[in-house]
Amino acid sequence: MDASYLDLVMAQQEESFEEAEGGGGVWVVADLLEGQIAPVTLEAIGAARTLADSLGAYVYAVLLGNDVTTLAETLYQSGADGVRVADHARLAPFALAPHLAILLDLFEEEEPEVVLLGASDAGQELAPRLAQRMGGGLIEHATSVTLDESTRVVQATFPIYGGDYFEIAACPEVRPQVLTIEPGAFASPYLDEYRKGEPTILDVEPVEPVVRRLGPAEDYEPPPVPLSEAKLIVAGGRQAGDFVLVEKLAQALDAHLAGDRGAWDAGLIEAEQMVDVRGVTVAPDVYVAVGLRGDTFHNAAMEGATFIVAIHPDPHAPIFEIADQCVEAQPEEVLPVLLEALA
Amino acid sequence: MRILVILRRVLDPAGIVAHRRLRRLFINREEYIIQPADHGALEAALRIKDATAAEVVVASGQSEPDDDTLRRGIAMGADRAIYLSGDAFKSADDAVAARALQEVIERLGDVDLVLCGATTLDTGQAQLGLRLAEALGWPQIVGAWSIEADDGRVQGVRRDGVRYTLVETDLPAVVLMAAGALKPRYPNGIRLINIYRDEGDVADALEQWDAADLLTPDELSPLIASVGRDFPPERERGERVEGTNAEVAETVAQALRQRMRG
Repeated sequence: MDASYLDLVMAQQEESFEEAEGGGGVWVVADLLEGQIAPVTLEAIGAARTLADSLGAYVYAVLLGNDVTTLAETLYQSGADGVRVADHARLAPFALAPHLAILLDLFEEEEPEVVLLGASDAGQELAPRLAQRMGGGLIEHATSVTLDESTRVVQATFPIYGGDYFEIAACPEVRPQVLTIEPGAFASPYLDEYRKGEPTILDVEPVEPVVRRLGPAEDYEPPPVPLSEAKLIVAGGRQAGDFVLVEKLAQALDAHLAGDRGAWDAGLIEAEQMVDVRGVTVAPDVYVAVGLRGDTFHNAAMEGATFIVAIHPDPHAPIFEIADQCVEAQPEEVLPVLLEALA
Repeated sequence: MRILVILRRVLDPAGIVAHRRLRRLFINREEYIIQPADHGALEAALRIKDATAAEVVVASGQSEPDDDTLRRGIAMGADRAIYLSGDAFKSADDAVAARALQEVIERLGDVDLVLCGATTLDTGQAQLGLRLAEALGWPQIVGAWSIEADDGRVQGVRRDGVRYTLVETDLPAVVLMAAGALKPRYPNGIRLINIYRDEGDVADALEQWDAADLLTPDELSPLIASVGRDFPPERERGERVEGTNAEVAETVAQALRQRMRG
């Protein structure tokens, strides 16, 4: 093989590189959390990398903020091929108008094929406006993405009723395909120290924010969260032994205190604290059942819980059939130790 | 002041079962409720009406027939309801609905404030209100816990992490109310009876607008297509935690801490 052939191949490669540079690509809008790149952004770059490898495209990250240029290194390490940085004192804290204007200018020129944002407060504010202005489709809170390689269409899964089941949707006609990525749903990519790059600095003059911050709302009292919408619930039953310990556990976890029909009959809880199909139906993230047998009416009212811990002395208690963690012990023996472990 | 509230409906989750093993969705009781966050947004609008004598218009923001939702909105105290209908609107997604609502707002004229919920109970999508804000070129306040509007300004309380911040912007604006921020009032009994009989002072309150008159066929084609459905894996019997009390407590505490962080 003579050198001229290699020259030819390299020239062709350069040509195709320039073509790809002109448009398309998978873009990730970076999010900041306490002065660092937010974990959800790294997860989004990981997802973008997988999509881009199948598409034969590049992954670009856009980073907007104040004093953030050095953070571009992390974006390269996590898998970005190119990074654009807009570094300006007026870009922090996040405000919609200046960030949106810069991103729109950039995307108008770059014509991305796919845009990923984290489903954070900032990402959720930006994504619909970006999609609307660019005429693209938007799927929010994606928990997984796959690619139809023949049509270059991204299919995204998002939870319905908080994860009861999932809907799969796609944006077949228009571009860009905008997605917000649910934090924690994608694996965080390996940070490769040998991946390096020089970020492109965007010359920006941020516009003034349209929504003004007036300071803390000091006299605002948020409404109490009703038991039916609680994220954390500690429920006690008649086998709980010392009910004060159950109350202490609820306090330690900053959880809502509840109970079953038996606890209500025994006068340990109020009617609006009774988890039962005849009382309140709940679907918290965490449900701790202490000394509670778990009859049909109780279990039906709380089986929507994501994670259930049950503590009960009887190994045949029905609550153990639906619990994720089963502790067969006397609650009054376990609870004091558990309270210490949580402190 | 004229306030437009977007009211959507949602299948009551108490009537459906997502069967993980059969990977099927069973609708045992097809009953609809107002999207809770939209319901709260209507309450916010009615509180502004109580304080400033604003006019409150409710409009449907989704494709299926939901005039029941709008009738309940009028019974709660809204002055007017616009029910977007038509075969062409049946396949509408949020982008199409936003375009239709933009057209509604332009035809109504003098709308100062658009209110809707910051999220939906079922899909969790928040794009309708924000797409509308972008189409209109209006500022937005997302996830407001309480709002006040008069003199060409709107002030809202928003949550930043654990703290609450007061923000302000000029009208016209779009405000998305946080779910659970306000407890909606009960419908007025007499209005409720009258609106279902089309009688009394609410006889003409519900107007039907054909979406095909508002948008071109091109604008009515949705951007997002549904591909399928997926179900989480079947729930397995839980792990038995064994050991001394201290070991058990440590395992449980670790699991709880991990879950609470997520």
